Amino acid sequence: MTGIAKNPGTDRTPKQVRAGFLRRLCGQWQLALMSVPMLLYVLLFNYVPLFGWSNAFKDISNERGTLIAFLRGDSPANYGFNNFINLFKPGAIPFTGAIRNTLAMSLINLVMGTVSSVLLAVLLNEVRQKAYKRTVQTVTYLPHFLSMVIVVGMAKIIFDSNERTPGPLNSLLLSTGMLQEGPDWLGQAKYFWWIVGVINVWKEVGWGTIIYISAMTGIDPCLYEAASIDGAGRLQRILHVTLPGIRSTFIILMIMNIGHLLDTGFEIQYLLKSSGTQQVAYTIDLYVLEYGTGKQIDYGLATAAGIFKSIVAIVLLTGANFISKRLSDDSLL
Amino acid sequence: MKRFLSILLTLALLTSLAAVALADDAPEPITLTVFRGDPGDQPTEDNKIYKLIEEKFGIKFNFTYLTGDLDQTLSTRLASGSYPDLFDGGNSADLIISGGALINLLDYISPEKTPRLWAHIEPQKARLIEKNAEGKDVLYIVPNYGLPDGPQIALSVGGPAFFIQKQVLAWDDYPEIKTMDQYFDLLERFLDANPTDENGTPYTGFAILCEDWRHFCLINPVQHLMGRPNDGEVYICVTDQNYEVTGNDPSVEFKTETFIDKPYAKAYYKKLNEMYNAGLIDRSTFTMSYDQYIAAISNGTVLGMFDQAWDFGTATSALTDAKMYDRTYVALGLVYDPDYVNGVEIEDHYLNGSLPNVRRGFGISTSCQCPERIVAMWEELLSDEWQLLLNWGVEGEDYYITDDGRLNMTEEQYANTQNSQWKLANKADGFFQSSPKKQGWIMNDIQVGDKVVKAGNCWEPANQDEIVFGLMNDYDKEFLAAYGYAKFADFVNAPIDLAPYGEAWQIDYTPVTTAHDNFLKVQDEQLPKLIMCSPDEFDALWDAFVAEITPYADEFAAFMQDAVLAEAHKVLDNK
Repeated sequence: MTGIAKNPGTDRTPKQVRAGFLRRLCGQWQLALMSVPMLLYVLLFNYVPLFGWSNAFKDISNERGTLIAFLRGDSPANYGFNNFINLFKPGAIPFTGAIRNTLAMSLINLVMGTVSSVLLAVLLNEVRQKAYKRTVQTVTYLPHFLSMVIVVGMAKIIFDSNERTPGPLNSLLLSTGMLQEGPDWLGQAKYFWWIVGVINVWKEVGWGTIIYISAMTGIDPCLYEAASIDGAGRLQRILHVTLPGIRSTFIILMIMNIGHLLDTGFEIQYLLKSSGTQQVAYTIDLYVLEYGTGKQIDYGLATAAGIFKSIVAIVLLTGANFISKRLSDDSLL
Repeated sequence: MKRFLSILLTLALLTSLAAVALADDAPEPITLTVFRGDPGDQPTEDNKIYKLIEEKFGIKFNFTYLTGDLDQTLSTRLASGSYPDLFDGGNSADLIISGGALINLLDYISPEKTPRLWAHIEPQKARLIEKNAEGKDVLYIVPNYGLPDGPQIALSVGGPAFFIQKQVLAWDDYPEIKTMDQYFDLLERFLDANPTDENGTPYTGFAILCEDWRHFCLINPVQHLMGRPNDGEVYICVTDQNYEVTGNDPSVEFKTETFIDKPYAKAYYKKLNEMYNAGLIDRSTFTMSYDQYIAAISNGTVLGMFDQAWDFGTATSALTDAKMYDRTYVALGLVYDPDYVNGVEIEDHYLNGSLPNVRRGFGISTSCQCPERIVAMWEELLSDEWQLLLNWGVEGEDYYITDDGRLNMTEEQYANTQNSQWKLANKADGFFQSSPKKQGWIMNDIQVGDKVVKAGNCWEPANQDEIVFGLMNDYDKEFLAAYGYAKFADFVNAPIDLAPYGEAWQIDYTPVTTAHDNFLKVQDEQLPKLIMCSPDEFDALWDAFVAEITPYADEFAAFMQDAVLAEAHKVLDNK
């Protein structure tokens, strides 16, 4: 790391440091002023809502009748950690199950999504025909702009496992004789996570390649030339020049994705779940949606679930950052 | 020329001033915000009925229809604290009532102030007027439906029943189907003989819709097979219809239990399991969305299902539009064969005497600035003349009156009432559907212009003899003739008056939401598995299902027992 601006405070007393900081801030007041709107934005939308966390320790539920009082403006009764305890009580859709489903689907999405994006980016990078490359790129990233409702609707048709009138996939599998009996894709819990993964890959693979391709264009062409002079073939150039060249991008994206590991969202799962798959379909977000604003309306419980999710996300993010810092020099913070 | 122009301008100004002055005594115009708890379309700007309402009352409407999930929408509205003036909570009005969003209409409705509204609710006031937490009489919503004049009209089944395609009955030479076994046996024989329709599309023997709240198609049938009307998820023992006379103790009379975990429910799901393994039920039925279900029925390839008639109304219209009359459905009132229930002969109870649609329709929200104007408008709209206008439309344009005082429509006029685009410009459905209305029979002569509508017509065109039989297609006429029936309702019991507690599906179970939720989740998950398992596993799986659901079922049943008794007492004590 070659820092351009040396830290001016290395050999000064704290007082001098503070004075130096102020002087520097005044010197850059135009820049400081430009960052004010963003600062306000973050404060207003990311910090102010944190006051709502107090609801996790209050009794605000429709079931115990405390919701009405809350909506009328009375301050709700203190409920201690009961909401957190209730979270982990067994029920038809347990919260622990929601955590498991979230992590499982996130990991599947993360691995399948990253691998497919990197692979596609590497392949596209090797294509020399500009027009073809552009076309492929456009075609693969267009699904990103489709609404999830449409995508899941298409998936439901493709994976339709009706025995008499099977959907395209089962028709193909049966007519080519690859399988004797069409699997019940949407009704069986064991397929659910993978179908979610496949849908995600189809929708996001092109979008994911954009950042990798831009990282690849930043690789010095001299490296490729030097490698080929040294006798490296195409595959070796990919392995030893392209992949190391996108390593830091890859790691930073990975760390950020790990921070979002619990954000599988709920759209696919909400739209795709059925009676047979609900046990594996509930994510934390879906749980919060159902118990916080659905029929049950328990703001306290929903907030507790949200807090739990945030805390786990912070732990995951700092953990991933720490590990990556140890393994290499790349880190986010 | 200039002079002439200025005179013209002055004249124009003067006339417009005069117009303003004339309009002064009309009520101050307001626009009410209206929320409807179901999806719908905006009326056109120049809708003729809304125009008449605006002229008379100075009231315009600004509609918001439901998009997305009802409960979520309502809870978001509750959290925001500002409500539309006219607030229709759809099937979840309990939420906005317990959230304190609606005003007590009894402050505005009384025999003196609003005689028509009072006369409208008076016969059912024991069911409608509730006591709030402070013990005060309250009424939040005047029901949108279910307060008819005169004797019950039942032309067809609008609610739950086992449905079967007419062609299946015709194929078997119009048999009388009364029990579950006869029903599935007929479906099986038909499917064996006709695996596909004339286009080669395979038939589905029996479809079960399980999507979201529509899972009643999966979990409700047993109570009906046991000879009870729709009590939601509980079976209520009603042994004697004359409880008031005999003075039966309600605590014995209305014993309430969940039925899904009882041995008599096992018979139905065992039958479904048998039918699944015989190929009558397709596994994809459990992952089917509502749209797919409607599409399948509209194709005419679903032979039978348990459902409520309104739930697949769009599919029925599609079939009728395509003139596939033999693929439309007949509602059958099936019951268990006596073999399943210790030899007891069960009588079917699918059609009910009418019951107010409690807590459904418009309430006036606490945000509304002019509740008395809305109530006054409802009062005026309940007059015979306005009701005729709202139900039938404008005389001469939308319907005609015969010389002997009967209401009728030409074919074109009737076709209009089935056209959703036409209705947006010529019907006030968005407002009228959720407002208090007259149903049943027209009890008094009504003067319309120089003509008279005689008593004995029907308020709703769909019930009017001339319309029903005049427009019935030939297939249906012949079909009914083959059975010797006058109407499709004859396939089930004649309407039976409901027990004093009403129908238990209307009971608000918020205090046991968690138990109820779990109760449903276990059924959603286990019943499909039970239906799809191999027959030798069935008994073991059933026992496991009962064991899993019992704790939730017990808690829910205990709550419902108290609630049913409370409902029954409300009516019995107020007699």
